[in-house]
Amino acid sequence: MTGRKPKTRVVIVPCSGIGKTYGTVSREAAYDVTGDLRPAETQLVALSMLVLGDETARSAVAGNPTITIDGCKLACATKMVRESGGVVAQDFAVLEVYRRYKQFKPQGIAELNEAGEQLAHALADEIVGIVDQLTKDSSDNIQSDGGQIG
Amino acid sequence: MLEFLEITVDKFTFKVAADRFYNSEGVWAKPEETLIRIGLSDFLQQRSGDVAFAEVKPVGTALKAGDEVAVIETIKVNIILTSPVAGKVVEVNPAMETAPEAINQDPYEAGWLAVIEATDWETERLNLLDPRAYFARMKVEAEQEVKRDDGQKT
Repeated sequence: MTGRKPKTRVVIVPCSGIGKTYGTVSREAAYDVTGDLRPAETQLVALSMLVLGDETARSAVAGNPTITIDGCKLACATKMVRESGGVVAQDFAVLEVYRRYKQFKPQGIAELNEAGEQLAHALADEIVGIVDQLTKDSSDNIQSDGGQIG
Repeated sequence: MLEFLEITVDKFTFKVAADRFYNSEGVWAKPEETLIRIGLSDFLQQRSGDVAFAEVKPVGTALKAGDEVAVIETIKVNIILTSPVAGKVVEVNPAMETAPEAINQDPYEAGWLAVIEATDWETERLNLLDPRAYFARMKVEAEQEVKRDDGQKT
């Protein structure tokens, strides 16, 4: 198979809030996207690596469109990506997503309840929509540039 | 310009608006001519967490003081709020349907819950706490919560 590899890999940075239900939803959604739904088009960057100043993580967010998923209004993921020189293409707040899916009330911390899992899947689907748009835009740009990067 | 009583406990700052009354759970009641506007105190909204949904009893609902007037679902808890006064709901803040985060962002102004036509405000206000009394009560509760949190960390 000789399918063209996308030139852009969208970086996903979820909340690092361990012990918080909404943080867990953010990470589950990120795992859904990067592990199952769009593994070739996305890459997961741990917020903690940005906090630590890890060069690989900083380069990833600085060089690719980034989607952040924040578990609370502190919005650490979004702030840290920006502080690391990245451009946030889209930021999601789990609470706002929950307001759109009231039937999925998340509970649990180490392990989400079923509704929490469903909320994470719903969030993942929304993220995929943005990923597809970003990778399509990137692909369109490449084609209009005669297939050259930049 | 609103005036506040203010205290910082640990890393949290809590404000109590000085122009209204409070019930013991932290629901404020602000007289506006013949009507009473109600909402959550800053302390109550901060301790409850970010609001996801707010359901307020609809216009026309008759209430006794202490009756359920709203249910707030936050990222931490579901809380039932009781009316500080008896009367009839005559207005509900439309933001509670579309942007309930107003409770967190501006608890004493844009985040109001409802307006109640009070049955007997002059009598019922005697059962409420004035700002200084509520401030003293809130201070004790806030300090107890911080101690409890510190205890859980150690």
